[in-house]
Amino acid sequence: MSDEKNKVTDKASEIARNIWLAGVGAYGRAVDEAQSSLKKATPQPPKLFRDLVKAGAALEEEASEARASAISSVEERIAQVRENFHLQRPARIEDLQAMHDKLDRLTRKVDALTRLVSEQQAPKKKAAARKPAAKAAPAKKAPARKAATKAGKG
Amino acid sequence: MKTRDRILHTSLALFNEEGEEHTTTIDIANELDISPGNLYYHFHGKDEIIAELYHQYHTAIAHTLRAPVEQPLSSDAGNVEKNWYYLYVVLEEMYQYRFLYHNLDNILLRYPEIRRQFQRLVQLKRATLFAICQTLLQQSVLDAGEQQLPVLVDNMTLNLTFWLSFDRLLHGERDPALTVHQGVLQLLAMIAPYLGEEQLDFYRDCEAIYASMLAAS
Repeated sequence: MSDEKNKVTDKASEIARNIWLAGVGAYGRAVDEAQSSLKKATPQPPKLFRDLVKAGAALEEEASEARASAISSVEERIAQVRENFHLQRPARIEDLQAMHDKLDRLTRKVDALTRLVSEQQAPKKKAAARKPAAKAAPAKKAPARKAATKAGKG
Repeated sequence: MKTRDRILHTSLALFNEEGEEHTTTIDIANELDISPGNLYYHFHGKDEIIAELYHQYHTAIAHTLRAPVEQPLSSDAGNVEKNWYYLYVVLEEMYQYRFLYHNLDNILLRYPEIRRQFQRLVQLKRATLFAICQTLLQQSVLDAGEQQLPVLVDNMTLNLTFWLSFDRLLHGERDPALTVHQGVLQLLAMIAPYLGEEQLDFYRDCEAIYASMLAAS
């Protein structure tokens, strides 16, 4: 009983598949080549369902070879359009939230860096404080000397 | 570029901009700065140029249209947007050969061979949109009855086929980006009533982009 049912459904799906293939055969890319080769075999143009199925099956084989590359190129173009679309669309709440999150992360990083810099500077200040006053004096004189040479040139 | 390719390239530009009917082979030769004899060596008249341009277009668009028939563009409800981006790809490709759509009936009457192939192309457009809608139905993105689908798909096919002609009739020459974008928006507007709240976000973005484009033009 169930075997019989299976047979019926198998038959039905085969018919459905043939209808589908006939559909593909009716409009496919290589149908012209397929038709011309069929024309050579039969003097009349292939109007019969059987011929369309044949054309469709031939096409399916060829299509499956070209399928991978065909889809990738369409995929690439979809990716391009998507990028363009995202540039143009108005900001959504999610986008704003993402920006906030990014800002928070950056703020934390800046805080950490500030802390690091102040920690590194603290020992230097101590060291500078310990230095004798005599060493600081020539450094202060330098700008005055520069100013003098400039005045001389003028 | 080979002379033959240059002829095709220039012819396409002239047909698109000046209209196919008003462009003669002399115009094409003048534009290319070659003698009409040289052009005749490559193409014996405008008919052959149009046949070749149509062949190029048919090959390219059929290739694009077949992708969703062979394999769903979206693998689950998470990346449904791919289907909408795909509509841009199709419309942009059609726009490249818009001379055909601007003068469709006339060209199809004069070239029975193109008519025969174009009929198949309309069938393919229908099959493509049907494949997309059926996938979305299976992924529960679309909420429509099985019997509504063919009607929806035919409406979308009608819109897609005659959009460029309608747009030109209504607006004349305008920014190509606007033409393509509104074309997609019109198609989406047909699907929108069957979409869930989540997917409507995309439709609203599309509307917002259109509004800002109109404001900028």
